[in-house]
Amino acid sequence: MRVVIAEDAAMMREGLVRLLTDRGFEVCAAVADADALRSAIAETAPDVAIIDIRMPPTHTDEGLRAAIDIRRDHPDVGVLVFSQYVETRYATRLLADRPNGVGYLLKDRVADVADFVEALTRVASGGTALDPEVVGHLMRAGRDTASLTPREREVLALMAEGRSNAGIAAALVITPGVVEKHVANIFAKLGLASSDSDNRRVLAVLRHVSG
Amino acid sequence: MTALRAPFTTLALRRAVYCVVCVVSAAAILAVPAIVPGLGVLILWATGAMSDRPAPVVGPVFLVLFPLTVALLVVLAAPTGRALGAVHRSLADRLLGVHVDAPPKRIGSVLSDGPGWRAIGYCLLKVPLAIPQGYGAFCYVFGLVNLSYPVWWPLFRNHPAGTTLGPVWALTPFGTIGTRTFAGTFLIAAAGLAMLLVAPWLMRAGTTADLAAMRRLLGPRRLAERVRELQISRAQAIDDAATMMRRLERDLHDGAQIRLATLAMNLGMATEKLGVDGPPPDLAQARELVALAHRGAKDALADLRDLVRGIHPPVLDSGLGDALATLATSSAIPVSVHVDLPDRPAPAIETITYFCASELLANAAKHSHATRIGLDVIRSGAHVLLTVEDDGAGGANADGPGLSGLARRIAVVDGRMRVHSPIGGPTRVELELPTGGL
Repeated sequence: MRVVIAEDAAMMREGLVRLLTDRGFEVCAAVADADALRSAIAETAPDVAIIDIRMPPTHTDEGLRAAIDIRRDHPDVGVLVFSQYVETRYATRLLADRPNGVGYLLKDRVADVADFVEALTRVASGGTALDPEVVGHLMRAGRDTASLTPREREVLALMAEGRSNAGIAAALVITPGVVEKHVANIFAKLGLASSDSDNRRVLAVLRHVSG
Repeated sequence: MTALRAPFTTLALRRAVYCVVCVVSAAAILAVPAIVPGLGVLILWATGAMSDRPAPVVGPVFLVLFPLTVALLVVLAAPTGRALGAVHRSLADRLLGVHVDAPPKRIGSVLSDGPGWRAIGYCLLKVPLAIPQGYGAFCYVFGLVNLSYPVWWPLFRNHPAGTTLGPVWALTPFGTIGTRTFAGTFLIAAAGLAMLLVAPWLMRAGTTADLAAMRRLLGPRRLAERVRELQISRAQAIDDAATMMRRLERDLHDGAQIRLATLAMNLGMATEKLGVDGPPPDLAQARELVALAHRGAKDALADLRDLVRGIHPPVLDSGLGDALATLATSSAIPVSVHVDLPDRPAPAIETITYFCASELLANAAKHSHATRIGLDVIRSGAHVLLTVEDDGAGGANADGPGLSGLARRIAVVDGRMRVHSPIGGPTRVELELPTGGL
């Protein structure tokens, strides 16, 4: 799987290259600003790009803007936006209309290498990876989920992060069958139309929780 | 008795000198609008251009130069007013022992300089004020002169009897009086005594009115100006706080936070290399990653330590003396620190003093090429006085971004800065901060 990394902190950039190479990814380019990122994407056509939000020259949201451009101009490239803080507003801008091939994670998540690599793979293959922080924010700020049991709320949050049933089962250490039952209950209680596709499911869940 | 003694006190003498100076300056002020055209005419006269047909030249010269002078005066009015005001304030301070504080520095353009225009008002008021002052000084000087007539009469009028001489004239405010006899000199002496007795009161009236005008027109801070000053310094304080927070966020984001994230990543990878149980699948790499993480942790700690010191140096809790001594040890140029405070200033003032000292030391190290720096903190009345002196190249610009930024920041607590830094050195920067904060 081919990856482009855009991260201005050299230490982090090198760490990521090392981690991903070690895990069998091919790092096509590791750049430090948004312009270099845009040309690297055009040249190497990777499967996925890891993009830091704050990069030179303004250190504000050039990474985010580049990510939105890439999603528009190169729909096949997965985009994993990577940041030291999460802004719900950024997440909704990123997801905009289609939640496929997009991720928004805290940098802290690299500490759990397996989870991080799993999220990156998911984004590269057209899935979604939303940081639990973002989902938490959305759920706290969003519509009431009081009718759900605590377990169902956990499952809902994991669905919103973009995980598949298998992923949810692994995260909660339960069987996929139990997950399916929870999902069915959640959809019934919230009055959502059930959906086979993980992506459409994410969108439905997000639309619901963010009211 | 007081009335009799009044002319013979040093105060009367000082007032007389002050009054004479005031009359001179009033005359100068009256002459100012005519200076440039007057000079023009003088030059024309000196070069002989006017020798044949004087009238047709003088007229146009005045007509052209007079409006030019007026226009120049309008532009230069406020700075000139400030300069003249400063001269009069220092005169009053030296001769009359009356101290009037300087007005605040100019904010905004020359034409909207309130204190400058008020100083011009004072200068114009000088002209009518000079009348009682001039009379007073005249009475004082010629009162003494007239009083002395009987003393020197016998010295000069020892002519043979029958010689007819012209009368001796004496000046009084009501015209001249003359006498041809010794008895007549006593009349002049009486007039002199009367003048001398009146003089202190005239001078007093003149200087009192002058000082009242000075306090109103040359002093600082009418309330509105003070409010404006406070508004500006408050905006400055808010800006500074916001900048400080942004810088902190940036330092944390680019420093410790990224180091810790990388550290976590390296530890995460190391954990994987060590495996869940049994013999580790890749011990060598795990070791390397742990070493990397270890170094990262130490770097992050160093980063945080620097950051914490930048926010509030912990040593400041034990007083400015210790804090500045610690600060001095990290300077590249030897610093001799001398702190003499009877008690501790408000915490905010200590912090500001510390950071100002830190910035001034850094400036000196960067620009001065000095070989030693003196850092003094003393108490002066209700103020803390911080002095940083070096033996370097001088030429520090008080209006440059560094020092003016410092001045703006201390203005928030009504602090004042004085910079003395001639080209060639040495440089001396004095900061005066109120001990109690605000």
